Amino acid sequence: MTDTIVVTDLSKWFGLKVAVSELSIGFRPGVTGLLGPNGAGKTTLLRVIAGLQRPSQGQVRILGVDPRQDAEIYRRVSLVPEDESVYERLTGRQFVELAARLARIDHPVDRAGMALQTVGLVAAADRALGGFSKGMRQRAKVAAALVSEPEVLLLDEPLNGADPVQRAQLIALFKELGAAGRTVLVSSHVLAEVERVSDRVVAMVDGRLAAVGDVATIRAAMTDKPRRVYVDASDPRRLASALISTPGVLGVQVDDGTVHIETSDPADLARRLPAIAVEHSIGISKIEPVDESLESVFRYLVEGR
Amino acid sequence: MALALHLYRRIMRRGRVISLLALASVPALVVWLAGFDADEGQLSEIYTDIISSVGYTYAIAALILTTATLRDEKDSGTLPYIYMRPIVRRNMAAQSILAGTAAALVIGVGGWLASVLASLALGAGLSLPLPSLSLYVAAGIGYAGIFVPLGYLAPRSLLVGLGYIIVLETILANVVTGLAQLSIWRIALSIYGGLEDDFGDVARDNLGPVTTGVGGGMAKLAVAVLIGFGVLTWALKKRDAL
Repeated sequence: MTDTIVVTDLSKWFGLKVAVSELSIGFRPGVTGLLGPNGAGKTTLLRVIAGLQRPSQGQVRILGVDPRQDAEIYRRVSLVPEDESVYERLTGRQFVELAARLARIDHPVDRAGMALQTVGLVAAADRALGGFSKGMRQRAKVAAALVSEPEVLLLDEPLNGADPVQRAQLIALFKELGAAGRTVLVSSHVLAEVERVSDRVVAMVDGRLAAVGDVATIRAAMTDKPRRVYVDASDPRRLASALISTPGVLGVQVDDGTVHIETSDPADLARRLPAIAVEHSIGISKIEPVDESLESVFRYLVEGR
Repeated sequence: MALALHLYRRIMRRGRVISLLALASVPALVVWLAGFDADEGQLSEIYTDIISSVGYTYAIAALILTTATLRDEKDSGTLPYIYMRPIVRRNMAAQSILAGTAAALVIGVGGWLASVLASLALGAGLSLPLPSLSLYVAAGIGYAGIFVPLGYLAPRSLLVGLGYIIVLETILANVVTGLAQLSIWRIALSIYGGLEDDFGDVARDNLGPVTTGVGGGMAKLAVAVLIGFGVLTWALKKRDAL
């Protein structure tokens, strides 16, 4: 299958801050999850792909076209920005109709009505966007993006603020669009969210690619990462010596009365720890995993590449 | 023209329009106050003098309005909704300047109508304020031509624009002869002067070294608008849209 979005050696920096660094990747029809912690460069990447920002280095081709050179490409490409910003005074219907008119679509009123129906916003369509909840705004933005029936749909954190029912509806919609042959790129900082939307994941951290593949691959790469667990115990030295020979424990250190454990399997450690404590008559007052953030996992993946 | 219509509606918020109409109507109020005891002969000179000098309030109103054309979209994060549409960038630039011009003209004509009311209240006929309509129209077109691109390009466009009006147009242009030719207000005033036989001394002083004449003034105005259009087209193509 041919890539519809091709990013080659792309870098984008703002002064001294590098937002995206030497990134090369292709996106094909179907749904792809763009995963990464906040500040990973996902939004910048989507903006550059969308042509809203120019690359500092490298190039982007979307459906074979440089989006900054040919505005006609926006007949086939839409973006749902992360910003909550909408035209507060317009109603949902006016907002989507405006998108249709600016895209010079035939029968903008009818098409706007269809797009609103697709996102389940017909009942609230005649209310001002200023009074919409965050989830409703997201759906209005998705409707405005869908009104031109784009071949490529870029969605920056589209599930932010949506309630569980709305999330399920939007996820089903994105999957449907992907199955229909559209290229749908969905960014998120929540792995579980991306997992529900797509099988293919592109993980980013610090503006670089951390991993590309299906969700299972990403999950496996994550579990390979050694995790640190801090334990407060009544006798830290005794606990440390008892843990040394425990399977899965890669290192133990006592610092300021706390046992710092490095393990390849935190879940297994959590199961074994109570038995070890009982066996050696050690009291445990606190167990704290310290490396569980997505950011730290991604950083590990990047460093390992 | 959907974009021009959208931008026009967006910038013409009720509160903004009312306050800017009030600002643009200040010269009319001054004309009315200054012309109470004037006879018909003096009234003409009073009118042209006041409109040409106090009329700068319209320049400020036009600045506030026209810089907002695209700046409002940028600042509120809604620019992607218009930028990511299949509109050729020069067309987008033209529609933006058109929207800014239309908005500036509404305020300008409002200010001018206030001066008409002041003239009528003083017993003068419509022939007194009629030529000054050209001043408001020309200034509106000229300011929109340069301030719409400024609003897109400069985050502190209002401050930069005020610098242009206060420092360049009202101070430096009086001292450095060549700079007077770069003043939109003087260019607009030169068109007004070309249509008004009874141009007062203060109005001529305000004009400085710029010669009166409708054709010349309109040519200069066209150059200013074309430069603004070129700059905005370039910026829309080449600069980050966020």
